[in-house]
Amino acid sequence: MTILHHPGDELLLSYAAGATDEAMSLVLATHLALCPQCRRTVAEAEAAGGAILEGDRPVLLSDGALQSVLSRLDTAPTAKSAAPLGAFTAPEPLRSYLGGDLDSVKWTNLAGGIYFKPLFQRGKSRSYLIRSKAGCGVGWHTHHGEELTLCLAGGYTDETGQYARGDLQSTTPDILHRPVADEGEDCIVLAMSDARLKFSSPIVALIGRWFGF
Amino acid sequence: MTALLATLAAKRDRAAFEILFVHFAPRVKSYLLRLGASAALADDLAQEAMLTMWRKAELFDPAKASASTWVFTIARNLRIDAIRRERRPEFDPNDPAFVPDDEPQADARMVREGEDARLRAALTKLSADQAQVIQMSFFSEKPHSQIARELGLPLGTVKSRLRLAMARIKGALGGEA
Repeated sequence: MTILHHPGDELLLSYAAGATDEAMSLVLATHLALCPQCRRTVAEAEAAGGAILEGDRPVLLSDGALQSVLSRLDTAPTAKSAAPLGAFTAPEPLRSYLGGDLDSVKWTNLAGGIYFKPLFQRGKSRSYLIRSKAGCGVGWHTHHGEELTLCLAGGYTDETGQYARGDLQSTTPDILHRPVADEGEDCIVLAMSDARLKFSSPIVALIGRWFGF
Repeated sequence: MTALLATLAAKRDRAAFEILFVHFAPRVKSYLLRLGASAALADDLAQEAMLTMWRKAELFDPAKASASTWVFTIARNLRIDAIRRERRPEFDPNDPAFVPDDEPQADARMVREGEDARLRAALTKLSADQAQVIQMSFFSEKPHSQIARELGLPLGTVKSRLRLAMARIKGALGGEA
């Protein structure tokens, strides 16, 4: 698998800093599970976080904090790492959010070979999956906020290029595009939309706008 | 500190833990205070971070991160969980769907001597513009759109400043492995 489209370093830096919200973090972390190159950039940004922490002016803890923690060490459960078995299309952390692999998703049929699955909403930031049958498109649309799309299965093509499993597309409000699912298997993407200030309408309207309906 | 943390992982050594606590707990508290936590909450979470360090010590890999980097990630995640009340989605290297490095030896980031000091020096040499957006990312946890609004800048300008800062960070970590 060769990933051609990556998040910009500035997004990876924000993820490492803990500044991205949960919906954006989910898309980025799922991309990271598939992309060693971007994992390296995140590790570098985290090293910067470590250097900042190290150079910070220490602030003493309350009296007795060390004793209190020492007395709790024995009760602290140690880390467990049980690796799940099997072959999955959805990597972690996405699979935990789905409660299973992509084939267990209950889709809502929107129209014209397009299916939708909302995952969660935090504030104005929404996380969702879209499945598109081969050759189906969602019409011209622009974006009202910052949006990320991660291809998980199949592929799609728009004016900016072709996107396959692992590819991440970052779109901003100035981009007008018309993605169409490639021939072959259904295209499934994980997306997030941060439409702060612009949207107050229900999720259907959001998706309608996303699709240019 | 990195060698001590490795000792803690190998031997569950309480003496090593005490030294690590004295070094890191006040820095974690400082980090949390800068992010707006109350003194009481910062104190509680700093203690919680140290318990997590003890509990997860086996997962620490000194070849991949320095102790301060690893403790930073613990503090960051605890804060997101406790203050923002959100989950922190992260990849799982043990997941069957995880794609490992093709050439782990050639590609993996290896921690090298003096890295923290070089990074700190690089961070102090950032331009004021770059330092500001780094500061806002690490210490106000603001997304790009919010940073742009608060600074009255186009989103693209904020992104390019962060990209330049990231290039400096990569540079400080050394080009060739």
